[in-house]
Amino acid sequence: MKKFGADYALQPVGTGPFKYVSWDRGQRVVLEKNPSYWRYPVKLDRVVYRPIVEDQARLTELLTGSLDLIVGVPPDFVGQLETSGKATLRKQVGAHVWYLGINNQKKPFEDKRVRQALNYAVNKEAIVRDVLKGTGSLSRGPVLPATWGAESSLKPYPYDPERARKLLAEAGYPNGFSTSLWVPESGSGMQSPVAMSTVIQSNLKAVGVTVALATMEWGAYLAKLRTKEQELFALSWMAGNEDPDMVMYPLLHSSQWTPLGPNRALYKNARFDELLHQARLVTDQGKRAELYREAQRILVDDPPWIFIDHEIQTAAHAKRVQGFKLHPSFDLRVETISLK
Amino acid sequence: MRRYLVRRLLLLVPVLLGVSVIIFMVLHLAPGDPAEIMLGSQATQADLARLRAELGLTEPLSVQYVRWLGLVARGDLGRSIWMKRPVLAEVLGRFKATLVLTGSALLLSTVGGLALGIASATRPNSLLDRLSAVASLFGASMPVFWLGIVLMVIFALWLGWLPASGMFSPYGGGDLRDLLLHLALPAVTLAAASVTIIARLTRSTMLETLGQDYIRTARAKGVVERAVVLRHGLKNALIPIVTVVGVQAGYLLGGAVLTETVFAWPGVGTLMVQGILARDFPLVQGCVLVVALSFVLINLGVDLLYAWLDPRIRYE
Repeated sequence: MKKFGADYALQPVGTGPFKYVSWDRGQRVVLEKNPSYWRYPVKLDRVVYRPIVEDQARLTELLTGSLDLIVGVPPDFVGQLETSGKATLRKQVGAHVWYLGINNQKKPFEDKRVRQALNYAVNKEAIVRDVLKGTGSLSRGPVLPATWGAESSLKPYPYDPERARKLLAEAGYPNGFSTSLWVPESGSGMQSPVAMSTVIQSNLKAVGVTVALATMEWGAYLAKLRTKEQELFALSWMAGNEDPDMVMYPLLHSSQWTPLGPNRALYKNARFDELLHQARLVTDQGKRAELYREAQRILVDDPPWIFIDHEIQTAAHAKRVQGFKLHPSFDLRVETISLK
Repeated sequence: MRRYLVRRLLLLVPVLLGVSVIIFMVLHLAPGDPAEIMLGSQATQADLARLRAELGLTEPLSVQYVRWLGLVARGDLGRSIWMKRPVLAEVLGRFKATLVLTGSALLLSTVGGLALGIASATRPNSLLDRLSAVASLFGASMPVFWLGIVLMVIFALWLGWLPASGMFSPYGGGDLRDLLLHLALPAVTLAAASVTIIARLTRSTMLETLGQDYIRTARAKGVVERAVVLRHGLKNALIPIVTVVGVQAGYLLGGAVLTETVFAWPGVGTLMVQGILARDFPLVQGCVLVVALSFVLINLGVDLLYAWLDPRIRYE
């Protein structure tokens, strides 16, 4: 660090499976096998990373054999890749939850019947099937399905516009109302935010809720969410690990209201807060799981958001690539790969 | 002439200063800041405050600007917030790739535009002239990113003749042939709109020039048609064409942003877009300064060309 000063980050050293060779700005990063890697012999001699922003270019390079592996296959290319016979598509449920936040403190959303109605009104199956082309799994709440804290008895809100209208009428909005929905054009873990939000907009229109869509650039969007002026907003969260606290506490505990923390829905439910707090005080995982399961049941009855989906991560690779596995943490791990 | 040149070069200073003030203001007026974007949606207010202080973003804007200006005066464009590296080296490295791309696009569009324009002007209303008119309309109305993707699908995906992205092959390569293969699609994409503009303008100015009395005189003297068109016609028609080529050079530098993004060309355009999205103030300032400087220098070059083309033009 002394030798390189402020540039020390450009001289990486480590004990991993690969060694740093070179970095041509904007073109490629080259790594070379570490022959003395301690865990197992690495089979690849050299790894070249290339940044290719344009989806079509990435796909073309893969299909013409100029690349071996791409991550983040855009939904529209999933079908094409599966039928091309030239590449293998890999899918795995990741650690994201994509939700449509609702400002719980603003009228008319402070009435939980309205929030329930919005959940019934949105056709999540259609979003996953038609917009995401199957690269999402329906969400029942913030906790990742099939993890130890997930309440498996919960069902995703069914698509039931009739019921949504009824609930809105009960809450005093037989003719619906008008509101706004903020959407970032892109952003970390946001899947296809604008297309997804457009479907949601038309679903809500069908039950009488007129939504004005406002799309924003990611940086501007994050700043605006701190103003607490949002009504509806699209956002995604990646859990650092499968502990339910990693998702529920920051996103939904009332001590985490924005701008202090990331509870941008300004959700507050006393019993829910209490359960989350209790779960932090016990160490027994079984007991914690019970507390979290009750908390999840509360979220179904008193929904803070419209639950949409959990992203299914995608990667595609050439047929000659063997032994590649997607890692749930979103890290791109290439050390297990060998070439046929 | 020398006095003129010195004056023009001195004028660069206020122009670049103005550009830097404007871009500094615009960047800071845009909502969101680098700390927010670096830390993402999971950041707490405390994290943000800490990083902002570390990056020197808590100081008043005027102080930040003057500090940056002080660095620039010493030939240092500061350090990128996002890449943690000296901006100048970063920008110059990428600018070379942009110059290769815009330079070849400019060459393509000038040569192609002149050839098409002259051919149309010498045979007005012929089939070629009409085809070139249709092609111009097409070329001028196609968005760069769409044309780029279409060319990529045809020549890289279907025919497999050309690579789809990058400047060199990831393995080996690196020679001129490799560069030219990678350059073909982005250069044609970028040149498409300009070639049509230059062609249409060449056609109309050439038609006007070829109708002049001195052209009739030249023909009457028995000068061969080729010399009539090129020496007597084209040279006199060049002044407006050079002006437009100069404007197009600037336009291509700006238009390169989209082409570079589509074809993963490692130029200053992609760097600038990344810088803007990350609110990397020093990086964007550096990119803009370099692009603005080249724009101004191109204009100066065009002005000097006038005098060379038409000896009646004098600068004092």
